[in-house]
Amino acid sequence: MIVLETNYSKKLGLPGYSSHQFSITLKTEIADLAQVQTESNRLYQLLQQSVDASIKEVGFLPTEVPIQNRNGNGNGNGHHNGNDTWECSDKQKALILKIVEEHKLDKKEIEALAQDRFGKGVKALNKLEASQIIEILLQEHSDNNKGNGRRFGSRYQKAGAK
Amino acid sequence: MIAVLDPVQVAARPEPNPTEELQKTVSASRLNCWLQCRLKFFFRYVLQLPRPPSAAMFVGSIAHQVLQQWNHGRWRKEPFQTEKFKAWFDSQWTEEQKTSKIKWDDDQADERASAWKTLEHYFLETPIKADERPEAVEVPVEADLSHHGLPRLIGILDLVRAGGTIVDFKVTGKTPDPEQAIHQHEIQLSCYGVLYRDATSRKEAGLELHHLVRTKTPKLIVTRIGPITQQQETRLFKVMESYVDGVGRQDFVPSPSFGCAGCEYFTECRRWS
Repeated sequence: MIVLETNYSKKLGLPGYSSHQFSITLKTEIADLAQVQTESNRLYQLLQQSVDASIKEVGFLPTEVPIQNRNGNGNGNGHHNGNDTWECSDKQKALILKIVEEHKLDKKEIEALAQDRFGKGVKALNKLEASQIIEILLQEHSDNNKGNGRRFGSRYQKAGAK
Repeated sequence: MIAVLDPVQVAARPEPNPTEELQKTVSASRLNCWLQCRLKFFFRYVLQLPRPPSAAMFVGSIAHQVLQQWNHGRWRKEPFQTEKFKAWFDSQWTEEQKTSKIKWDDDQADERASAWKTLEHYFLETPIKADERPEAVEVPVEADLSHHGLPRLIGILDLVRAGGTIVDFKVTGKTPDPEQAIHQHEIQLSCYGVLYRDATSRKEAGLELHHLVRTKTPKLIVTRIGPITQQQETRLFKVMESYVDGVGRQDFVPSPSFGCAGCEYFTECRRWS
């Protein structure tokens, strides 16, 4: 006895960069090898028709995800704004603390800088604001980045940089 | 398909970027280069063949630096002083010449004068008020798009105006057509919208292209665009998806076009097979 295992799968794009997919797997037995081609063709038609009939039903479609809910995945801290949580990413938090420690900076000055530029404390800075503070700190305190910031060296040295 | 170079040429180059790395992180520059010519992408990002900046790139870089100083100055509430920016412009122009071997098409002095004249014109005509404090200046941002099955997106925002309008400065020799400009820079603008939203959890108020046009009489063309739409975001994501697939296949084939005339890899391209 010969077992013929067939599978048909289809994935379709949906609005809002969603997609859904459906597949059917079917096992059947055939008596001899001469039947393989015929049976395979028949099963292909059958599976395709079955998948097509079902996949037309789109089912649940997410409406536009609120922007607030898109963020935070993989970036650590989410959006709790308690006293001890940071709004920026873990990486940014670590970098700010590292710069402060390495250059023995006064945390009050960093706090004042954040207040001056963004009207909020360092921990409340979002990722954009934290990135800006990091740029300013690097520009002012890194020996290798004096002058016009670390980005301009690469602005026209495009290879691998941006 | 794998592009092949003369082994002698490849010798003494930096280690090529593994394509796996290039699939993990993308930027508007990479995407645009990929869309323009996949072989150019191969030379620039995989082999990392070094090329000196063109005269136009050099001028653009210096102009961006002056504009960055101006934006930071407003943030620090410093009074506007043309002489200060002129001094910065002059010192950077001289300083960066030491490390960059620029092949000037025209007389360098003329280029320098024209570049400054264009900046001066911008300062006179800019829609940004002298006391408008920015939300961000020349800030690097990145967005983890793994929840979309896409690579990490990185970019640098030239300026975010108060209220969340993202501005990108362009220094150009030709007056742009606004509709064409929006189309040509769609990938970049969409990237900026996605990055801003990810970094702030807010939708941008809009986007602006500030074209500083280096014609005989300088011009400023400001093109305003609304926040990026769902359709633009989807188009960007599809481009990113196609980029990841193509880089994974090492699909580095040339795209001969009118644009090849100014390509820095023209010689390498002609040798490719």
